Amino acid sequence: MRGIGRALAVTGVAGALSAGVIACGSGTDSSSSGGGGKKTGGSIRIGSVLPDKYDPTQNQTIQAYQANQTVYTPLTTFKHVQGKGGATIIPGLAEALPKVSNGGKTYKLKLRSGLKYSDGSPVKASDFENTIKRLVVTGGPFSSFVNPIVGVDKLKSCKDDVKGIVTDDKTGDITINLSQADTKFPFAISETWTAPTPADKSPCKGQENPPPPGYGAYTWKIQNPSRQFTLTKNTDFNLPGIPKGNVAKMTVVKSSVEKMTQDVETGKLDFMTEDPTGDQLPEVRRRYKDRISLAPTPPNIYYFFLNVTVPPFNKIEARKAVNYAIDSRALQRIFSGRLDPTCNFIPKNVIGHKDGSCPYGDAAGAGDIAMARKLVKQSGTAGQTVTMWTNSKSPRPDIGEYMRTLLKKIGYKAKLKTLDQQVYFDQVGQKRNKAQIGFTDWFMDFPHPSDLLEPSVAGAALESSPTFNTSFVNDATLNKKIDDLVKQDPEKVADQYADLDKYIVQDKAYLAPYGTEQSTSFFSERMNAKECAGVHPVYKNDFLQFCLKK
Amino acid sequence: MGTEPNGLGPGRLALRRLRRNRSALAFGVLFMVIVALCVAAPIWSHHFAHIGPTAGDNLSQVTVDGKKKDVVSPDGVPIGPTWQGRYFLGAADGNGKDLAVRLLYGGRNSLLIGVGAALITTVVALILGILAGFLRGAVDGVISRMMDIVWAFPVILLGIALGTAFALGGVNLGVLTIGQDSKWVPILIIAIVYVPYMGRPIRGQVLGLREREFVEAARAQGMRPLRLMFSEILPNLSSTVIVFFPLMVANAILLEAALGFVGVGVRPPEPSWGTLIGVGVERIQTGPHLAIVPGVMLVLAVLGLNVFGDGVRDAFDPRSTIREER
Repeated sequence: MRGIGRALAVTGVAGALSAGVIACGSGTDSSSSGGGGKKTGGSIRIGSVLPDKYDPTQNQTIQAYQANQTVYTPLTTFKHVQGKGGATIIPGLAEALPKVSNGGKTYKLKLRSGLKYSDGSPVKASDFENTIKRLVVTGGPFSSFVNPIVGVDKLKSCKDDVKGIVTDDKTGDITINLSQADTKFPFAISETWTAPTPADKSPCKGQENPPPPGYGAYTWKIQNPSRQFTLTKNTDFNLPGIPKGNVAKMTVVKSSVEKMTQDVETGKLDFMTEDPTGDQLPEVRRRYKDRISLAPTPPNIYYFFLNVTVPPFNKIEARKAVNYAIDSRALQRIFSGRLDPTCNFIPKNVIGHKDGSCPYGDAAGAGDIAMARKLVKQSGTAGQTVTMWTNSKSPRPDIGEYMRTLLKKIGYKAKLKTLDQQVYFDQVGQKRNKAQIGFTDWFMDFPHPSDLLEPSVAGAALESSPTFNTSFVNDATLNKKIDDLVKQDPEKVADQYADLDKYIVQDKAYLAPYGTEQSTSFFSERMNAKECAGVHPVYKNDFLQFCLKK
Repeated sequence: MGTEPNGLGPGRLALRRLRRNRSALAFGVLFMVIVALCVAAPIWSHHFAHIGPTAGDNLSQVTVDGKKKDVVSPDGVPIGPTWQGRYFLGAADGNGKDLAVRLLYGGRNSLLIGVGAALITTVVALILGILAGFLRGAVDGVISRMMDIVWAFPVILLGIALGTAFALGGVNLGVLTIGQDSKWVPILIIAIVYVPYMGRPIRGQVLGLREREFVEAARAQGMRPLRLMFSEILPNLSSTVIVFFPLMVANAILLEAALGFVGVGVRPPEPSWGTLIGVGVERIQTGPHLAIVPGVMLVLAVLGLNVFGDGVRDAFDPRSTIREER
């Protein structure tokens, strides 16, 4: 449900980045300035399109998540370091990581003592249950991740009891019982949408302005939800392993991408939450090499879905033909050089990703058009009309046009259908529309491969309409494997996830992956872009790591 | 008092006045040159550029001054003008399409939609205006209120709203089914939103004409209303239509450009001046010509039509005649 692959409509994306990628991005993107030392204190201004919502249970954009992770600390959280370590789960409001028992179905945690929210009220164990109730009853975008908790499916109002959550405000004990083991759950309770907030100030509805108080390194004040908010350092914040933040005050203001790019260039803004677009990016990369870096955060995958229920892609040869024909170099140009070519479905830096030889040729090399044409002929589908679906958000029309041209080259009569991005995923996700091939992407909510596989290729995902399983795959072998693996420690079954990746892309060619998008971190001259960029696998940019030059 | 030669009909008189208006004629010629260029788009495409309007290869290279150059650089910047047949004006987008070819084919689409929409607007506005003005009463009430409703919305907003709605599933009105990719979608949208702008003045003119002696005389001779409308009223609206039509075409081209700019006009991969400007704006820093060139073409075409249209109006408008003939 959430994320649905829309780059800016995704929160809580976690993934482990290689330190090398973060530090260097690429040869031309690396920060080369002297850094200038870290300064504690000072004020900065950040340009953003602003959060979609301010209540942590209700928002779903990365802009919201970047800000509210500084205000709301969950029971467990993600380590505030750059690189692969950033995806490591560490204790947050809880004293320690959960003790898991009962075959992975029971989680026991204990709250740290003496914690107080920004409004002065004490942090209580029962606040966690209240947060889960709010998340589910109000239909928060990430509510499905807490569905495994016993009793959540019967929750009708916030007055109902969640049987699967037992709390003790005196001792701070929290026990969570799941109906079945789910190794995604530890990630779910590390996200801000499960962070406890005071029950008496967190009603059973979205609480936008002021949003509920939290316990975090910063407190926030929303001056105007659609114009500006400020994050002010919380001097009372003290949790082991979590930084207190370097900058005293951050003012986040609304701006357009073009304007914020210009303002960061001139120093009117110190950072922008968005990526410079169009030809501003090459210009910025050329002129401000020491202030901009690129990294594939959050882990993501761009791919073409191939609807296996309608011709021509009900034939495996036709699906393989598309995989053979793709030339990622052409797509790299369409992405203004921000695409890392890949032939894997599970993105780099996510458990289960395994680099290896690509079955359809060099992922970063030319496509094999001759082989593709041969396969199309073999499939008996040559000459059929194929409509490539895409949406209006740049550069997706160009991606759609690229594929339309490619389909023509390999022997189809190709058409292009471009829908508005607001309705696109709703349309391609409905079986009755019979979308044959189309653009899609997925930004990981956390570095667990099932976060990608369950919605995009599992048969269970077809129960919802629209579905994100836009290839309409319902493969019994694949379904069973996904169900089995999610109950096991993903690190221990990483190889099996890699095998599943091979099964999806190579053996069955259910889809055609082509790359990972790199996002940018662009800072003003006065910011320490080298040491404090805070490029993070979950938060994209971790505001707690930001600092000015000395 | 005037210097009008005796014995010339109003049409010939108007033509005579138009011939004397050199600026109008010059802009009319300018417009016709643009039309001719756009009509000749396949010649440029086949014999000089050797690439079609929807084809592109962003991995190809062209030789400029003896050196190989990427059509699109690895960081996605399209090649600028090369002053050769291929990529004469540069590449239009990240897919390496030829801007000059798309400009000419885009002009064909813009002009086709402009003229098509203006024709439909004219026919519908004539029918509604004559019916409302001649029949009056309830028919006039219904038609006028319908036109008021359409008129109440800003043209561009209404165009965008209809364009967005039809972009998803096309037009499906039982007997009339138009696919979302069809050029009929923008033609119909533009035609609909401009009907009141032509329909209301026509209605007003018909209200006056129906009281004129020649209409009374025809009625007294037993002519039926339908025949009255089409044999007596309609011919007397010809000068109004001739004046309005070029201005309608100009407005329709502009609205098409606006719709194309916001992505609800001509559907990709087909080009139009509006879509080309929309794509060009995204690359305004590294390739300002991508937006400027189609923008200039649009301005020249619309300017040509408007000045020529003004000249036609002056030629057919008696008050204008007096002013000019003094």
